[in-house]
Amino acid sequence: MPTRNAQTWREPPKGLRQGEWIDSRIYSDSEIFEEELSKVWKKCWIAVCHESELPEPYDFRTMTIAREPVIVTRGPDKKVRAFLNVCPHRGNMIEMRPSGSFKEGTPSGNPKHMTCMFHAWQFDMKGNCAYISREKEGYQDRLSRKDVGLRKLKCEVYFGGFVWVCLDDEMDMSVAEWGGQAFDCLQKAVDEEPLEVFHYHKAIIPCNYKLWHDTNSEFYHDYLHYHNRITGFNDEYFARKNSSYDNGHVVVGSFKVRYDQYKGFDSRADVSFPHMEENAWYMIDMFPGINFNLRGSALRCDLMTPLGPNEVMIEFRGLGLKSDTPEQREARIEHHNSIWGPFGRNLHEDLIAVSGQGGAMHEMAEPRRILHGRHENHTIHDEVGMRHFYDTWGKMMNRLPSDPTKPYAPPPDDLELEEPVARTA
Amino acid sequence: MTSDKNAAAVEAVKNTIYRACLNLDQEKWTDWLDLCADDFHYAIKAYSPEIRNDMTYLAGSRDDMANLTEMLPKHNTDRSPLSRHATVYTVDLNDDGTEADAVTSVAIYQTRLDGTSSHVDAGSTHLFVSAKYYDKLRIENGTAKFVERVTRLDTRRLDRGSHWPL
Repeated sequence: MPTRNAQTWREPPKGLRQGEWIDSRIYSDSEIFEEELSKVWKKCWIAVCHESELPEPYDFRTMTIAREPVIVTRGPDKKVRAFLNVCPHRGNMIEMRPSGSFKEGTPSGNPKHMTCMFHAWQFDMKGNCAYISREKEGYQDRLSRKDVGLRKLKCEVYFGGFVWVCLDDEMDMSVAEWGGQAFDCLQKAVDEEPLEVFHYHKAIIPCNYKLWHDTNSEFYHDYLHYHNRITGFNDEYFARKNSSYDNGHVVVGSFKVRYDQYKGFDSRADVSFPHMEENAWYMIDMFPGINFNLRGSALRCDLMTPLGPNEVMIEFRGLGLKSDTPEQREARIEHHNSIWGPFGRNLHEDLIAVSGQGGAMHEMAEPRRILHGRHENHTIHDEVGMRHFYDTWGKMMNRLPSDPTKPYAPPPDDLELEEPVARTA
Repeated sequence: MTSDKNAAAVEAVKNTIYRACLNLDQEKWTDWLDLCADDFHYAIKAYSPEIRNDMTYLAGSRDDMANLTEMLPKHNTDRSPLSRHATVYTVDLNDDGTEADAVTSVAIYQTRLDGTSSHVDAGSTHLFVSAKYYDKLRIENGTAKFVERVTRLDTRRLDRGSHWPL
């Protein structure tokens, strides 16, 4: 195969059609990134944490979505609610800790209230303004507490107890409707009984968020992982289905992982999640950057927070069953860590690879074609998942992924983007 | 125990801890494990204020650690070396001087070889993790061997993590 000169390097690859490659500028362009925050990240349901992180009334967690500070609280009625973490008075961030409880008072405020430390305005767990310091002296009767409540956000607890938030008041679908059948493969496993987070760490990686999502979506990169090659790469592995669903979601089907093929590893069957086959492994990639990954005995969840065109924060969680005995929990943690922990066999390799992509596709690098053209009958190394993701992305952004200077246009009719039998109505 | 024996035992503990640092710095995994007793147990732990839980990031026996390091050449790994700056803060001996608990403050630095762009990054050093070693050692014939090490991280942002024990 001859090398290419500057002109042929920039030309679309011969033999591939629109929809089978994308332009690297969608991974690196600042203008496109800013547009994504408003047209994608502020329009979708985003999983932000797990309900077990705020188990008691008055517990809270804070986070950001598309740079907007968000606070999730559990009220005395046990209900989980989400608000902009912004004081309506002077725009200060109300709560600055990552988590905690409002049950006790703070230096500026009373117990059982969210208090802005700046001027001591206080809010209850429903977001109502409960107290304005020197209210009458300053505002007389011109301003009422009922007019300065917090900005409430759409919030649901769904799919194994994950907390989902949407910044768009016009979102007309529930999380269940938005995720549709993409949830089906793991719904019974995660909803049979309460789950609990046992692992958390974060990574900030110099690459676009979509590159991490791509890596979770495509398994062709298992050549990167000795562990996955030695415990997979048999007929059953290569028959795993790669299915696409409405709203850009993708599911990678299961097979029986042969853990005993890796020295020192054993079957995970003794602590399988409910309704899971022995040593099964399912993956759900939710648009635009949420991943659920269940290897039989431990659930991993990646939540992405895009920080810039070439920077993403990924929060990694591991979950088990709340009912675990200490021995069961220890086994799940070991299973999780041995592959997916920060010192595990696979995660480190994935992060090295996407860092390399980020290094080659930064904003100042010349644009190039990124290929998504593998067709293998919707099985594990078919790149249908990425083609499907970028078609949804193109529609939401009204940009053509293969040339983002042009408006969206559908790919050729016969280019397979979705698994027909799996589509939702 | 006499104070001379105590002092010798404390020195033996410090000697083992500092030698372990050098072995880990130089990726001499077998030499590191030679400083560990057969019943050695290793763990990396951290407390997460985010989920308000204590966490284990890596754990295993001496055999598990031997197996882990033996398998490393089959894996793709960031080859940027790690080096430690350690200070043994406390060594507490038991009554007969045969066992010790030690607390060591450790900062682990990474000097990049691989990098997002090795052309730019290679040779630069940054703090990888801030941690403490909580060690239990057994002292026999003037030599201290690790029975347990808990590497307790302050750092929970682990960008690319590591394939190596810390």
